Amino acid sequence: MNVWEVAAEVMIFALLPLAWTAMRGDPRLRLVSFFMTGVVITLLMMLLTMAFNRMPMMDLAIALALMSFGGGIVFARFFERHL
Amino acid sequence: MKTITIETLLALAVLITLASVLGMLRMRDPYQRLHYIAAPASLSAVFITIAIFLQQGLKPECFKAVFTTLALIGMNTVVTHAAARAFRIAETKNWKPKKGETVPIQRGDERVGDGRKEAA
Repeated sequence: MNVWEVAAEVMIFALLPLAWTAMRGDPRLRLVSFFMTGVVITLLMMLLTMAFNRMPMMDLAIALALMSFGGGIVFARFFERHL
Repeated sequence: MKTITIETLLALAVLITLASVLGMLRMRDPYQRLHYIAAPASLSAVFITIAIFLQQGLKPECFKAVFTTLALIGMNTVVTHAAARAFRIAETKNWKPKKGETVPIQRGDERVGDGRKEAA
């Protein structure tokens, strides 16, 4: 087990409270938890790419970063108009 | 020396992310919570990218990490602003502050933008 795997495994624990808060409570707080989850998973993708030494997997991190931007904007617009 | 630097950078990145998540959970207001996304999106991503460059050297694949970090930093600011604006519009129908509007943070706190305080 290398240091990248250790860092990824520790960072995974950040997802537990985020998943909990994304599933319950005020919709605004849930949306913020969703944004934070996107950032944490992107960082996890970068760490796992290095942990498994598969550099093409960095494309997943790039795709996720770009997609969470689009998703965030869409959610914000939806929230603004309909909730 | 290189190994120690990589380990330190990764430890910092993970600690910043965990601290931001826990700090975010402590806040009750969504506007306050939005601020906590900035630290992992900027600092942690930069630390991880530096560690990747130290580990791999100047390989073309490593520049994907730079692009990911730039995407996180640039887009997080836009999404955060868009979300805060959407929350404000959902509450008040107009996101611009009204004339003389004050911003109470918590009960008992000093009001920000209070006209009487500014006049005094």
